[in-house]
Amino acid sequence: MRELVLYGHIILGLAIVVLSVFILMEMKKKSSYLKPMAAATAFMSWLAMLPGGILYLTFYPATKTVIKAGPWPWAHSIVMETKEHWALLLPVIATVAAWLVYKDQLKESKKWWVLLIALTVVLAITGRIIKMGAVS
Amino acid sequence: MKFNFYNGATISAWLLAVLVIVAELVAPFKDALKNVFTHHWIGKVVLVFIAFFVFAFLFKDKKSLFGMSDEKAAWYSTLGSLAIILLFYVYEFVV
Repeated sequence: MRELVLYGHIILGLAIVVLSVFILMEMKKKSSYLKPMAAATAFMSWLAMLPGGILYLTFYPATKTVIKAGPWPWAHSIVMETKEHWALLLPVIATVAAWLVYKDQLKESKKWWVLLIALTVVLAITGRIIKMGAVS
Repeated sequence: MKFNFYNGATISAWLLAVLVIVAELVAPFKDALKNVFTHHWIGKVVLVFIAFFVFAFLFKDKKSLFGMSDEKAAWYSTLGSLAIILLFYVYEFVV
C-alpha cells in the first residue's frame, strides 16, 4: 500500500515537472496543445495532494519518531515541516499558471511555470533529505 | 472570466503563512484545527484551498491589492509565504 501511494506521489510530481517544461517549450510555437496540457498539469497538482496527504497522515508519523530521535532532528523540524506546507502552494501556483494560459497571457504565465518546476524539484529533494534523516 | 486567481493566490498565500505561525505558537488553535478537521494539516489544506477559490471569485474585478497590481501582489505574496514558512521553522528549531 505504502509503495503504491509513494510511487503515485513521485509519478505525479515527475509528470508536473515534465509537462511544465513541455508547456514552456510549446509556448514558443503557440501549440494548440498548450491549454489542455496546462489544465492537465493544474489537475495533477491538485491530485498530487491525495497521495501526499496519505503518506503524511498515515505513514509519516512513525518515520517522524525515528527522525526526531536520530542525529538529524532538523530533517523533520525544518525540512518536513516546511515541505508539508510549501506543498499546499503547488496547486495554487499551477492553477494561476494554467489560468493565464487560458487567458492567452503566455508571457505572464512563464514565471509561474518556472516557479512550479522549481518548487516541485525542491519538494522532491526535501523528500530525499527526510528519507536520509530517517535512515542515518 | 469569473475568477481572478491572482487575488486568490495572494490571499491564500498569506493565509497559509499566518495559519502555520499561529498554529505553532498558539497550541489551542492547533488543537481546534485538529478537533474540527481531524488533523491540523487537513485544516490548513481546507482553509487555504477554500480561500483560494472564494477570494478569486469575490475579488474577480479587483486589479490591485495592497497598493500594487494583482499580478505583483500574487507573485510577491507567493514567494513571501514560501520564505516566511521556511524562516519560521528554521527560527523555531534554532531558538
